[in-house]
Amino acid sequence: MPKAIISGNAGERKLLLGNEAIARGALEAGISAAAAYPGTPSTEIIESLVDVAGEYGIYVEWSTNEKVALELGIGVSMMGLRSLVAMKHVGLNVASDPLMSLGYTGVIGGLVIVTADDPNAHSSQNEQDNRLYGIHANIPVFEPSTVQEAKDLTKALFEVSEKFQLSVILRTTTRLSHSRSPVVFGEVTRPSRDASFHKNPERWALLPPYNLVKHREVLERLKKLEEYLSEFRFNSVVKGEDNVAVVTSGITYNYVLEAVEELGVKPTIYKLSSVFPLPRKIALEILNYEKVIVVEELEPVIEWQLKIIGYEEKTGAEIYGKTVFPRVGELNKELAKAGIAAVTGIEYKPPEAALSPPGLPRRPPVLCPGCGHRSTYYAVKLAAQRARVKPIYANDIGCYTLGFYPPYEMADFTWSMGSSIGIGLGIARFSKEPVIAFIGDSTFYHAGIPALINAVYNKTPLLVIVMDNSITAMTGHQPHPGSGVGPSGESRPQIKIEDVARAVGVKFVEVVDAYDVTIVRDTVQRALRYIKETGEVAVIVSRRPCALLDVRNRRRRGEEIRPYIIDEAKCINCGICVDKFACPAIVRENSGKPRILAELCVGCGVCASICPAKAIRPAMG
Amino acid sequence: MRLYMSCESYPTGDGVISMARKSIVVAGVGGQGLITIGGVLGEALSEKGFNVSVGEVHGLSQRGGSVVVFLKYGDGSVSPIVTTGEADLIIGLELIEAARRLQLARKGGFVIVNDFLLPPPAAGKVPSREELLKSIRGSGLNDFVIDANGLALKAGSEIAVNMVMIGASLATRVIDVSVEDIERILTRRFKGELLRINLEALKLGYEEVEKKRYSSQVK
Repeated sequence: MPKAIISGNAGERKLLLGNEAIARGALEAGISAAAAYPGTPSTEIIESLVDVAGEYGIYVEWSTNEKVALELGIGVSMMGLRSLVAMKHVGLNVASDPLMSLGYTGVIGGLVIVTADDPNAHSSQNEQDNRLYGIHANIPVFEPSTVQEAKDLTKALFEVSEKFQLSVILRTTTRLSHSRSPVVFGEVTRPSRDASFHKNPERWALLPPYNLVKHREVLERLKKLEEYLSEFRFNSVVKGEDNVAVVTSGITYNYVLEAVEELGVKPTIYKLSSVFPLPRKIALEILNYEKVIVVEELEPVIEWQLKIIGYEEKTGAEIYGKTVFPRVGELNKELAKAGIAAVTGIEYKPPEAALSPPGLPRRPPVLCPGCGHRSTYYAVKLAAQRARVKPIYANDIGCYTLGFYPPYEMADFTWSMGSSIGIGLGIARFSKEPVIAFIGDSTFYHAGIPALINAVYNKTPLLVIVMDNSITAMTGHQPHPGSGVGPSGESRPQIKIEDVARAVGVKFVEVVDAYDVTIVRDTVQRALRYIKETGEVAVIVSRRPCALLDVRNRRRRGEEIRPYIIDEAKCINCGICVDKFACPAIVRENSGKPRILAELCVGCGVCASICPAKAIRPAMG
Repeated sequence: MRLYMSCESYPTGDGVISMARKSIVVAGVGGQGLITIGGVLGEALSEKGFNVSVGEVHGLSQRGGSVVVFLKYGDGSVSPIVTTGEADLIIGLELIEAARRLQLARKGGFVIVNDFLLPPPAAGKVPSREELLKSIRGSGLNDFVIDANGLALKAGSEIAVNMVMIGASLATRVIDVSVEDIERILTRRFKGELLRINLEALKLGYEEVEKKRYSSQVK
């Protein structure tokens, strides 16, 4: 077996992803446990820890959702041990309930909560700035600026967490999490502490009046931390020549360094790793400058804090931030240049560039060849036509969200994890047309179950179709409670979706093969009749293993993957396979006739089953 | 007051500010092995002692969507995004995707393109191969259009198209690593038949652009 990427001795230099560096830092800090629900751009943190869990004796799990992952970390902390919990930014919304209480109680064993934010919403429903969660929950927030620092800061934060008995938020962003840079390893600390439950009901049971006592105490601890942070080694300054200070944090620091170099200006640059609380001593030094330029992505978190301190201390510094930098989307070198130039009064000229031709077609991601979601969508459309209904399509978060795009256009809304069912209930209560909620297997376990129970209990007519590919596919195939395996492929109990649905009282529960268009179509038609007649919820589990994973496994086992071909003599050029089914392996030739690309076709045969002319068949061996 | 960290001196000090920085953009379609190109080149540059940043976008963009990898390196700090007019070299594995990223190239930069058109599924109007080639050739960049898919097949497998493109990009002399540096990394990453195919693909890509460079000089 190849050596795990984050495994290695002190002094080794490796090219690591920001996420892998965070994992390595946790390893060096001696964590006993790590947990997460996968989500871009955070997934590789736990993925790389899974690879070394055995080697270093760490407990690593994929949790059913972020709330459970954080709660596990809190429990580990009560046992006096260190743990890391990771999630994408919107995952912290799910974990926000225990987070707010954690802000009051603080911790025993060090607890680092990694939030991987996604400025520009590359692969998310929004670009929320989770630094604000820290302010909201009284939990300090730190940001690394380089991949090396991601490792070093993660390690240091476990010390900070235990010294001040506070959990800490490490905030990273897509550009740091998904950038590879050289990292020099430090020493790994093997978890060696004795675990013992730190019994303290007055601290852990947040009942009146203890909760207000805790609120008071945490504000005092934060004050002490803020003083300590004025000498924190991850806050740094590059002394300049002018009476201008540039304040920045996170990956943006790198844009600033490139920008000042290209502009030929020399402001003093403050790079803050501790963005909440902002060390007052450093803030006052910054506010001594005539002009202060705050370069930060998304919300003006540093800017606001500086303005408050400036007001309280009656400093005369001019503070520029969101007036010269966008609040929407990511920053980059050119945006940094434009903003700094505007404040310092120098001319900014955009660089001369080559030109891209206009009118290039977009290339959105597509469902893979052989994906069971495609055949399910196709069959559901047929069923709706036959039933003469125009369903409202509630959709959810996962690969199947791609059903939004033509030719399917079967996502009237996507919201947050599990919302297809929850929001679907509100629509179904008042809609004359049926509501069909598509939800993935992993999303079902994550947040779909309470909404399904609600549908049963409150008797709501809704058709839930679980798009079951037996894995969390979109983030790169992490196992979940329905997979039957744990993070390293070890055997685990399998909790079947149909069993859950029946157990909570759904009476119409059917499991179908996602590739069998006729069966899926007929089952959906029956389910539509059922919800109309009974006014109750129906569940169909449309099951097929993820095609991407399945093909990979088949190749590994040396199985032949036989592509299909279109018999030109039989083809009537009706366009169903290429335009309506829209498998990426089927293209239209210049002649207008469809052709199957042998290198993309995985031989699922669904196109052959829907071809009205029976013109598609497996290629001869 | 004690300083809260090393106070870096301006501008070069201990190399915080980079004086020499190069940017490369790899553009293509999910599944063409772009991440591997970034990883292999990044590793080679890192071993040369450069500070390197290889920026990738994961998740949704993998599923046959348009993918771009940013590679930057230098003596000092490098950011993970290549902005308009910054790239010294564009490596395009597909014609539409190469054309899409042309605006990232600086005037006088290089572009290496795989002569391969893959229209997005269910796309309406798609520019023709000839139109795309015309815009690439008319971009004012030093362009090299090669049949990387064909060369990969000649090396033993179409999967090796990414290695052909690495070889081709080295022949431009833009990237500060040698064919031998890449061979060393491939030998660590692969073995057996796969290694042989990848090494052959690397060589074929390199030779193809060398040949074109030579013939353009002769003309």
